[in-house]
Amino acid sequence: MSEHDKIRELLALAAADALTSAEEKQVAEHVLSCIACSNELAAWRPIASELRRLPTPQPSSWLVQATLARAEAKLIEQAEHDWNRRLMIIVVAFAWLLTIASWVVFHVVSGRFDRFLGPLLSHTWISFAAFTALEWLAGGVAAVMLAIRQRGERRLV
Amino acid sequence: MVGATALSLEGLVAVDADVVRLRRGDLNALSELITRYQNRLYRYLLRIVRQPAEAEDLFQQTWLRVVEKIRSFDANRNFDAWLFTLARNLAIDHLRRIRPESLDEPLANGWHRENVADRILSKDHTPLDHALAAERRTEISEAMAGLPMIYREVLTLRFEDEMKIEEIAQVTAIPVSTAKSRLRRSLEQLRYALEARYPGGTWQ
Repeated sequence: MSEHDKIRELLALAAADALTSAEEKQVAEHVLSCIACSNELAAWRPIASELRRLPTPQPSSWLVQATLARAEAKLIEQAEHDWNRRLMIIVVAFAWLLTIASWVVFHVVSGRFDRFLGPLLSHTWISFAAFTALEWLAGGVAAVMLAIRQRGERRLV
Repeated sequence: MVGATALSLEGLVAVDADVVRLRRGDLNALSELITRYQNRLYRYLLRIVRQPAEAEDLFQQTWLRVVEKIRSFDANRNFDAWLFTLARNLAIDHLRRIRPESLDEPLANGWHRENVADRILSKDHTPLDHALAAERRTEISEAMAGLPMIYREVLTLRFEDEMKIEEIAQVTAIPVSTAKSRLRRSLEQLRYALEARYPGGTWQ
């Protein structure tokens, strides 16, 4: 490809101000001595110029307000979701702490009532496991009920 | 020039501050960003899908997506490019569902850019002063609307949004060299369309 052809390929981009400084320099030097390319560049300029001046379609104020309202609602929902997640982490950590702490209490209390319990249940670890399972089951049921209620409230909103 | 650069830098700093605030869940920052980008984003979407109702729907979806993804936004990236990429992805998904044929890669039309150049050189250049500016804009707007999506997109990003080639490449997820050649082809197609629509007009 000759120098002339290479420059010719750059002319549309020159009108679009999309050349590197080296390319710009090449084009500027070439069009000084090439009438054909100079005319071609001149033909591109009004197109580029009119493209820059096309009227901008405006979104309606209703659309902007509706978008803002929906996006804000989503942002609030996300913030609530984050808060709930953080709260859940704290509650779960607390529940585990309580479970471990209760093991000590349970051990002491069950030791005193050993004679009232059957031989199978007298094993502290079984009693403790049952107690823990019951505790977590109750916690799980409460969490599910809360989630269902929250979802219902959100639907009403 | 210095004043314009200072203003544009000021704008960038304000956008960055709004983005940081939005990441913290600030509702005012969201409002600021929507206000700041409303015209540009709507125009971009309208140029891609061409139907106002669809552009409006995509405009809303884009901002919902911004809220959803703002925490994963890399603060070192350009917010403009990120926002337009989100909008573009939604618009392309939409077109793929509604009018998949509109996404097809355009054919060369059996036309080569040399033809235009040769035709122009073969006659005296008609002075543009003879045409009214408003008419020219209508003509160019109509010709642009008739171009394939990828050409309309690159034209609006370069000339209306004044994005650099690197930013266009980022938004359209293509290499810089491809963005450059796509811009060139889009201009050539536009010129061809103008000449075909308005033979003997001011574009020849």
